[in-house]
Amino acid sequence: MLQQAIVSGLVFGLYFTLVGLGLNLIFGVMRIVNIAHGDFLMLGGYAAYWLFTLFGMSPFLAAVLVLVVFLAVGWPLYYLIVPRLQLARDAEMLSLILFFGLSQVIEALATIAFGTTEHSIPGRVLGIGPFGLLGAMLPKAWGVSALVSAIAVGAVALYLYRTRLGTLTRAVMVNRDEALASGIDTNRVSAIAFGIGIALAGLAGVFAPFMLGSMTPSMGVDVNLAAFAVIVVGSLGNPLGTALGGMIYGVSLLLMQTYLSSWANLLPNLMLILVLLVWPTGILGREVRRA
Amino acid sequence: MPDRAEPPRAGIASSPMRARGWRDLAFAGAPLVVLAAIAPALYGNQLLLFNFVTFLALAQGLNVIYGFTGYLPFGYVGFFGAGAYGFAITVMDFHLGPGAGMAVAAAASVVLGMILSPLLRLSGAYFAIASLAAAQALYDIVSNPALDDVTKGPYGVSLSSVFAPDLSYNVAVGIFAFATLLVIWLRNARFGLALRAMRDDPVSAAMAGFPIVRGRTIAWLLSALIAGLAGGAYAWHISVFYPETAFDISFSIFAVVFTLFGGAATLLGPVCGVVLLYGLYNAIGITVPQYFQLIYGLLIMALVLFLPDGLASLLTRRGIRVP
Amino acid sequence: MSRDAAPILEVTALVKRFGGFRALDGVSLSLHPGEVLGLVGPNGSGKTTCINVISGLYRPDGGSIHFAGHDIGGLASHALARLGINRTFQSPHCFLSLTVAENVAVAAAYGNGGEAADSDRVLAELDLARLADRPAGELNSAEQKRLDLARALATGPKLLLVDELAAGLNPTELGAMAERLRALAAGGMALLVVEHLMGFIDKVTDRVIVMNAGREIFEGRLAEATRDPTVVQVFLGRRHGG
Repeated sequence: MLQQAIVSGLVFGLYFTLVGLGLNLIFGVMRIVNIAHGDFLMLGGYAAYWLFTLFGMSPFLAAVLVLVVFLAVGWPLYYLIVPRLQLARDAEMLSLILFFGLSQVIEALATIAFGTTEHSIPGRVLGIGPFGLLGAMLPKAWGVSALVSAIAVGAVALYLYRTRLGTLTRAVMVNRDEALASGIDTNRVSAIAFGIGIALAGLAGVFAPFMLGSMTPSMGVDVNLAAFAVIVVGSLGNPLGTALGGMIYGVSLLLMQTYLSSWANLLPNLMLILVLLVWPTGILGREVRRA
Repeated sequence: MPDRAEPPRAGIASSPMRARGWRDLAFAGAPLVVLAAIAPALYGNQLLLFNFVTFLALAQGLNVIYGFTGYLPFGYVGFFGAGAYGFAITVMDFHLGPGAGMAVAAAASVVLGMILSPLLRLSGAYFAIASLAAAQALYDIVSNPALDDVTKGPYGVSLSSVFAPDLSYNVAVGIFAFATLLVIWLRNARFGLALRAMRDDPVSAAMAGFPIVRGRTIAWLLSALIAGLAGGAYAWHISVFYPETAFDISFSIFAVVFTLFGGAATLLGPVCGVVLLYGLYNAIGITVPQYFQLIYGLLIMALVLFLPDGLASLLTRRGIRVP
Repeated sequence: MSRDAAPILEVTALVKRFGGFRALDGVSLSLHPGEVLGLVGPNGSGKTTCINVISGLYRPDGGSIHFAGHDIGGLASHALARLGINRTFQSPHCFLSLTVAENVAVAAAYGNGGEAADSDRVLAELDLARLADRPAGELNSAEQKRLDLARALATGPKLLLVDELAAGLNPTELGAMAERLRALAAGGMALLVVEHLMGFIDKVTDRVIVMNAGREIFEGRLAEATRDPTVVQVFLGRRHGG
């Protein structure tokens, strides 16, 4: 049972890495807390649902479509909102409030469009029956979702460490002002990172029906708290630390569900609070405290 | 009145500021409270009026911590829920009266505030999110079926034995009055001034001699107390409720939006926010809350981009002081 | 100048580490009432860290700090302010949403343990009286620097730590500021001044300590420092080279 919990926790954690990745990328580059992250994820989930229900489209194709569309939406959204925000004295706080407003707008529109009933895609779409991994049995859908997450994490790592634009992005992450002073078009770099962050949220959403169960328009809040737990554990502003956070989160969650199932809901929230208080820089991290 | 009790210690807590405080009380605070108290005689829907008063108290309570210290607790509803369940458990499990219930509601929220006070070490966004996580965690605990014997878990509580709509309404008005007095005091006393200084620059405020940890903790506990009392009165007034009603994140959201909209760190800003927006909410109708959610979502975005200091700043910008 | 009296500030073998880096590596200094001590040295030599530790912003990792006979190492800033230690910041830390008068009022109300402080006089002395009702956020940087100093003075300090107050001031403002600091010292206040502008240091200080890499490499008059071979190599040499 322990082995089952740990292996499935790691697989689950890989998916949660993807859930946190976009949030952390945006935070790392822009110091902006996208509290609408969970709502973009929800939209990705609904996109997959409707594409499957109406056209029988496979989630893989839906994933590609969602990536492209969300990137195309996120990119201009940056120019619409962020440069203006960054003029303010307390940009981080204002961004939190603004994206909170955005999350309300998205949730309201989704409720109006989709109603409050739960929607789901059957797990068999991603393959039938369980498969064995390191002595544990897992649903195929979990394996596929985790694999997609791993590919996405790898792609982001390649982008950041192997491309010119990625190098510039990392420069902005280290010090925005210096990057600007050394002639980097920080707005362009940030806009792309923002688009990628939103697209990653959408991608995670496509696989949400298989990993998180059925969807409602109001799922964003819980997703956000889980995503925050993941990136805070892994350390804020460090996209690759997210993987570590995801694993720790996944394994703890599955252990809780195995041995203390009635209190498993508490885990993400308690983890978030405890890590912020006890280990505020996360595992690889940065200072978030004052005084 | 000359400052005999408090020698020239503070050039500021002196006559002009004190006079301003009395003026705010006489011309803004007191009339509002009186209006809230006599409203049931003028308008029949007591539950609606009760909700207005509850949001007035919550918005001012949030104003105490957000307006004066800059800490924005998205999980503010946690204190409200703690108060509601503190009241319910006292009445339900210990068979005590509503007076004891209100005392426990107050104590529960203050104790919760103390437990969470280490969160104040976190800066802006982290504090906001951590407080939300704390409220969710508390909800998960209260609604857990394993605690059925104590909280009735997810099945909700019924407090019909102490049901007293008129009395509980007046208690809610009393809580609003307390919150109003608190905000007037903070706006016109050196403690509130020091809190605002700390909001701008904690390092420099400490260097000015202000004990910042104690200061922000006091503001936090006062703010928690108001929400806890409001939660207790809420439990008393509506009498039947579920964990998801008492810990509904909408309480936090509404309190935040109303306060921001009207203008934090003023007395009248949050009041305007509640009256206009909660009025709008009820006009649109609770049957389609999504439309209201959409409107206030857009409103928040517009506020942050164009009017980050709320309606009150339209006047203060022109040099007009808003109480 | 009462050189024979006991020092008001006595720092002994002060150590401050950041991770593995020793920002202060055994600094000792003492300061008498009415004396102005300059702290000079290249960037990163530990001058500002020294002020930050004495003013309670950082906790010392070793050594001791005595102020007027009390051991004050590790006390919180607000407690130090009430004992009579205050400081200005390299980039001014004003309460930007408060008015100029309110900025000073907070310090006057909380900073001097019940003794009277005349906010109006402080404002007038620093040429801020006409700006009293303006929000601090609207001031220019020279005015904010003066306000930062006013906030410190409103607490009635016996020891004032001054961190690069002169940077960014024009020559007239510089001269006025130097005179102001001398006047404070003449009134019995002890001052510790960190500054890059040697002309300003020369005008203001009685004595300087030259620091390098967290250690003291010279103590004495500025004129002698410029003839000290170690100092020339470490500090002035680098300046000419740079």
